[in-house]
Amino acid sequence: METQNVKMVVTGPFSAGKTAFVQSISEIEVVSTERRISSEAEQIKEATTVAMDFGRITIDDDLVLYLFGTPGQRRFDFMWEILAQGMLGFVVLVDSSKPETFREAKSILETFRAYAPTPYVVSANKQDLPDAWDLDDLRIALRLDESVKLLPCVATDKESVKKVLLELLYAILEEMEEKE
Amino acid sequence: MKGNLEHFSPTQILNLVSLSKKSGTLDVNRKGRKAALSFKDGKLIFVSMEDADGSLTSVLSKAGRITREQADVLAKHAEKHGDKQLGLLMIQKGYITRNDIVQAIKRHALASVNEFANWNSGDFIFDQARQIGDDRIIVPLDLENIIIQIARAQKRDEQLEEEIPSLDVCLKFADKSKINIKELQLSKEEWSVIRYVKPENTIRMIAKSLNLSDRDIRRVVGSLREAGLVELMQVRQREKLSVEEKQEKKALVGRLIARIQNI
Repeated sequence: METQNVKMVVTGPFSAGKTAFVQSISEIEVVSTERRISSEAEQIKEATTVAMDFGRITIDDDLVLYLFGTPGQRRFDFMWEILAQGMLGFVVLVDSSKPETFREAKSILETFRAYAPTPYVVSANKQDLPDAWDLDDLRIALRLDESVKLLPCVATDKESVKKVLLELLYAILEEMEEKE
Repeated sequence: MKGNLEHFSPTQILNLVSLSKKSGTLDVNRKGRKAALSFKDGKLIFVSMEDADGSLTSVLSKAGRITREQADVLAKHAEKHGDKQLGLLMIQKGYITRNDIVQAIKRHALASVNEFANWNSGDFIFDQARQIGDDRIIVPLDLENIIIQIARAQKRDEQLEEEIPSLDVCLKFADKSKINIKELQLSKEEWSVIRYVKPENTIRMIAKSLNLSDRDIRRVVGSLREAGLVELMQVRQREKLSVEEKQEKKALVGRLIARIQNI
């Protein structure tokens, strides 16, 4: 029997933790397209994703889930629409300790919603950092409706990533039930 | 100095004129749309932009200080005696004050130069020998402040394009908005847009109805969103699944959930 492939996308601003998120849960070593950062303004970390991160979770013999992490820098946003095609849902990852990226996160969220009307959740990453904004404040800053799931997360922690993915899957189910 | 705005932007030209304190007139032709900006010692002194030729009668008419009919009569007078004479006559007769004239010309120049700043193509030529006629009323404006304002507005527009990437989305009133709409102090454009906020109207449709450019509608929607009054709503319908497809998809999601729970 032919294997069925499904995909979910992890997006968010530069340095939100998308690569770490995919790495935490993928059963394979993440196929990463990281390059050294050339722009001085963005030298928070040494390397950044330029095309996509690519992780895999085998569900059973005939179903595989692929996780794609998008590049966070705007100059690689031509990849976003390609990655968004046919996705089951998407996660918008936000660095809770960097308010300067919130506006960008909201913009990316709107862009992905325009690409594909699929369910999504917003995940507040780096909640373990002392400067992390709490969820209520983040919801206001990101202007998220009460109906949008905003979930705490530490992308380096597998359990935390699992919870986010599960919430996205529950959101997909809920959406299907709402439409019945 | 000549070239195309594609390679040398309006703000770069204004900056160059300001820094080198140039005098002369910049003529721009953008697919038949014309603009002429005159400078003296690096200051903007006169702008003629498409049908707004910068003459006293057109400026006052645009500012609502005189009617169309009055403008036609006064324009004939200005043709013979010039704008300065006409202005003096109107002040002497008590129709208008000197400050009214200065403010109207200033507003026209700022609005025109802001419009020009958004041109991203068009042949330009700067002629240092071409000076504005002595009969015109000139109000010198410092370019530094204008350039800063333009740069701010352009930055804001870029942000708005990122925030509202598509105009094919609808607007809805924010669920949490408990603001009494009647007490709001909104601009004329903002009120107009508010009137059209309905699930069936996309932003593009609203812009078309109100004859607003993409940039202008983004600005209005941006400020309404900033105030927490409206939110974007997707217009694209989700795929309609048959009962079997739905069951299949539910089963698939169920398998994903079961697997991830056990990782």
